Amino acid sequence: MKITIDGKAIEAKEGQNILDAALAGGVFIPHLCSHPDLEAKGGCRLCSVEIAGEAGAVPACKTEVRDGMEITVNGPESSKVRKMAMELILATHPADCTGCPKYGKCELQSMYQYLGVSAEGWRKKSRSVANDDSNPLISHLFTRCVRCGRCIRACQELRGVKVLDYIKTPAGIRAGIPEGKSLEDAGCRFCGACIEVCPTGSIMDQVKIMKEERSYAENIVPCRSTCPAHIDIPRYIRYIKEGEFDKAAAVVREKVPFPETLGSICTHACEGECKRGELNEPVSICRLKRAAGANDSGAWKQHVRKDAATGKKAAVIGAGPAGLTAAYYLAKKGHEVTVFEKNEKAGGQCRYGIPAYRLPDELLDREINTMLEAGFTLKTGVSADSPRELFDQGYDAVLVSIGTHQGTRLPIEGNDLPGVYVNAEFLKQARTGTPLPVGEKVIVLGGGNVAYDCARTALRLGAKEVHMACLEQEEQMTAAPEEIEEGRQEGIILHAAHAFLRILGTDKAEGVEIQKIARFYFDENRKAMTELVEGSNQVIAADQVIFAVGQKPEGTDKMELALTHGPYIQTDQQLQTSMEGVFAAGDVVTGTKSVIEAIAAGRKAAQQMDLYLGGDGDISEHLLEEEEPSPYLGQIQGFAGLKRVEPEVAEPSERAKDFTLVEQSMTCEQAKCEAGRCLQCDLRLMLHRPKLWNEY
Amino acid sequence: MKEMKADVIVVAAGLSGLAASIAAAENGASVLTFEKSSTTGGAANMGMGPLGVGSRIQREHMISLTPGEAFRKHMYFTHYRVDARMVRDYYFKSGDTIDWLMDMGVEFVGVQRAFSAPEDTRAYSDGEFTWHVCKPEGGGVPGPRAATSMTKKMTEHAVELGVEFLFETPVSKILMEDGKAVGVLAKTKDGEEIEARANSVIIATGGFGDNPKMIQEETGYEFGKTIFNFAIPGMKGDGLKMAWEAGAGKEPCSMELMYQLPDNMNHFILDGAFRQPCLWVNRNGYRFMPEDQIGNTTFTGNAITAQPGSIAFSIFDSKLLKKYKKKGPDIVSHVHPHDLYDHFDEQWERDLAEGYEPIAQADTIEELAEKAGIDPEGLTAQIEEYNEMCAGGFDEIFEKDRRYMQPIAKAPFYCCRQNVGAYGSLGGVKINHKTQVLTQDAKVIPGLYCVGTDACNIFGDSYPFILSGNTMGFCLNSGRIAGENAAAELDDFEY
Repeated sequence: MKITIDGKAIEAKEGQNILDAALAGGVFIPHLCSHPDLEAKGGCRLCSVEIAGEAGAVPACKTEVRDGMEITVNGPESSKVRKMAMELILATHPADCTGCPKYGKCELQSMYQYLGVSAEGWRKKSRSVANDDSNPLISHLFTRCVRCGRCIRACQELRGVKVLDYIKTPAGIRAGIPEGKSLEDAGCRFCGACIEVCPTGSIMDQVKIMKEERSYAENIVPCRSTCPAHIDIPRYIRYIKEGEFDKAAAVVREKVPFPETLGSICTHACEGECKRGELNEPVSICRLKRAAGANDSGAWKQHVRKDAATGKKAAVIGAGPAGLTAAYYLAKKGHEVTVFEKNEKAGGQCRYGIPAYRLPDELLDREINTMLEAGFTLKTGVSADSPRELFDQGYDAVLVSIGTHQGTRLPIEGNDLPGVYVNAEFLKQARTGTPLPVGEKVIVLGGGNVAYDCARTALRLGAKEVHMACLEQEEQMTAAPEEIEEGRQEGIILHAAHAFLRILGTDKAEGVEIQKIARFYFDENRKAMTELVEGSNQVIAADQVIFAVGQKPEGTDKMELALTHGPYIQTDQQLQTSMEGVFAAGDVVTGTKSVIEAIAAGRKAAQQMDLYLGGDGDISEHLLEEEEPSPYLGQIQGFAGLKRVEPEVAEPSERAKDFTLVEQSMTCEQAKCEAGRCLQCDLRLMLHRPKLWNEY
Repeated sequence: MKEMKADVIVVAAGLSGLAASIAAAENGASVLTFEKSSTTGGAANMGMGPLGVGSRIQREHMISLTPGEAFRKHMYFTHYRVDARMVRDYYFKSGDTIDWLMDMGVEFVGVQRAFSAPEDTRAYSDGEFTWHVCKPEGGGVPGPRAATSMTKKMTEHAVELGVEFLFETPVSKILMEDGKAVGVLAKTKDGEEIEARANSVIIATGGFGDNPKMIQEETGYEFGKTIFNFAIPGMKGDGLKMAWEAGAGKEPCSMELMYQLPDNMNHFILDGAFRQPCLWVNRNGYRFMPEDQIGNTTFTGNAITAQPGSIAFSIFDSKLLKKYKKKGPDIVSHVHPHDLYDHFDEQWERDLAEGYEPIAQADTIEELAEKAGIDPEGLTAQIEEYNEMCAGGFDEIFEKDRRYMQPIAKAPFYCCRQNVGAYGSLGGVKINHKTQVLTQDAKVIPGLYCVGTDACNIFGDSYPFILSGNTMGFCLNSGRIAGENAAAELDDFEY
């Protein structure tokens, strides 16, 4: 049907109200209590309009359109109502906006700017309410409340959580939580819808969780923005909650080709940013990914991308997570890809670095075989040392992703005695079934995750007493806290904050002399400095000593590429090396980092190489139908206090005997239960932000 | 990465950025204006109106001040320590800028002064009638935020002229090539990156009032300790950092001083209630200025800064409070609620109960001094002397206006600490009178302009309150000058 607003003809739908019709037709009518996602209430009176043939002003949001309706926005009656309504709102709202974090993004401020009225004709009353910053996520500053009721409608009707309501105070009615309860006690789901719809600075995200260097969307869903591969975490967790494991796996696979591997060993920086962690403990994002991977039937395969052949050939040197990921996406983009791996099997550090009790061969084989379905060639046991030779063989682009597989031996006395091992070789030999000999007592030098891998591997190879010594205090160690804890349970004796002075022994290693550190720091040249405690020397007897103090790339010096910091390959922002057409990604560029960072680097390398090979650089995939999640959350008793669900872990005394898997995947029931703890922070980004007058 | 192109890029759409955008577009340039918030106007949304000298309205009101006189006044106030050519160009343009705004449809209620000095001091500190206060839509008395009606008209005009605004899209870097500014990098709220190129880039981001680290580094004040300035969200110093990174020279930054209570938004009643010409002392208990001046926020802010610990205390007794409740305040501010003292008891009791640290109440002067952190002996002696002078009806020390000589005698006594505040930061980026950015040795950086608060180096050590509306005035006029110059440069290069 047709209506006219201020003489302009607008197409309106049956049953629509005047405000919605006007806004949809590009005509701005001021409004404050209306919101695109909430049912109109007609409380603020700012949308008052006049209708030809009718006396007085009516609220546009509560008046249904009729065919041929003639509407005037700024008639004498409607303007009068609107002006007074705005003046009364301003008369009770704090006059000084300068301390308000909503400044510049405030709908009330914008509305005031548009209407430009003054409240000076009214006696200004302030209704001050003490700020409530007791909740770590949501801040209440109800002095600024203008009683529009949007937060209440969002909480009551849209989300069904029913925490916020109108409350009576001596100074008048305002939004709040009845009976003076805390958000936790009232059953808040912390979805943030109230924050999103509040037109003033009354309900806001706690300032400290909004980091300046991140965009708005990145701050609202910090798990997703923190993940190096930007996996859509809340989306897959929602599917797990609903028991849709196939869909959950598809969501993960839209960004990474190793769901179960990552679910077993990822460093999960996402969990450190999870907003649930501010309430009690973060959602077990990593282990949920494993559950998704473990229950994946492969339904996503019908949606995979396979572009037409381009006739271009790409070579990848090194079949670790970075190289395999790059090969996988380059193949999907229609390029002919060959991966050269000098070891017997593909997987890189996943295969030869991470012990089998954390990541078994079968799992890795399964995921790599699935990747090979994308159609690239994997040549194992074949070295490729020179990018230039690969060009001569007809390749158009080369990726170097050989990782860091050479362990570092510190320059201390006795470092070359028999019985002194380095991490990379020790772990690799254990992994390939030809372990280096291990006696009764072993000491590992180093305090990272790899050091724990060495120590726990030594136990499983039969050592009776395993020590670890590292320079850092326990709190500063780079090993994950859960790794330290599991090691402790298995009986590893940790000497944190100790320097290693020398390895003792004449014909073979017999022990290590260590000394307590008073202070450990890096000087202005980033050189490690230690201050020792006099007279705290002790000798730890050991049959073997294992260095686990870092790894570096091997063989990069022969590649004719510019290097940096010693053996690392230098690249620009686009991962291009000093040689045209040669790219590098993963640990060989960044130094030893995590698997997820290598995968993210592999994706970036695929994009850049595709661009270089004449493609559009777009490697995105949609592995499942887009579905709009339900905005309704409902009530869950004690939601804030729900405890994190932990998967089943083998008893320390049992598990340290051999290389069987320490931790089981969560059961489907456990996973659904844990997924139910997610705050679903992304839901609020699906709400529509009302357009301000300056955007029409 | 999305790529964009225009003749002129303006970084931020506050008052100076809007003026620059409009001026450039009026002169034929295509303009892209990036803004990190979702609205235009920036800090000007809190203001009431700009300075102008020689406007139509002033002539109609028979205000005879000329741009030349204003220039002289400004230069005396700043002791000629600022760029006289910039000051001259600003004042000589400012009257025309008011007419320019009126042609856009901006309406002003008239011309005012921000501060009217008491009779005795008029020769030294009276305000001139330069403040063009914006008229609220549909009439009425203008209040705080009145300038939003100007922001609206300017925004509408900019859109009519084809200025393209990119909201919630902060600029992160000025692109430099061969020593020339050629564009910017920006990021949308959803995280999409933009590389935009242009012949000129105009920086207009409003200073660093909301960046405690920069405040400390650039001015020495410690936010929340020695200064409690308006921290208008978003004023992070983005523009200064980007300009300096691009090679801009540095001018000394200052804070635009006034005074206020810590967390004043939540203690607004007390902020207003104690802003009275009662008894003001420093930490040692001594008076430090004639209290009839406390309406002059610039002088009072400066005076508090000069006291030990950069703090002062405002004190009244029960009799004075009773008078304020009955007859209203001695000095009325246009910022605080009209019914201040109706709510005084409620806010006072609550703040006392919650331990709001700047306030104290006691039944003896010694106890009050102990609680507030003032030297008890000093305060006791000071009050004895002050009360004697009140009885005599004359302030022999500072000759404070005798109407305000009201003794501090009847318990309980009320005390509120006053801290140094500021409207925001001032200056930092070195520019010439064309608002072109200069290197430290005063060489022009081609293609780069900086305007408004980021480049407001002309106030010297204090806000020139004698010429009211100066902050917004400089923003508008420097923005306009930059926009015109940036558009004029196009002729040289493009046609």
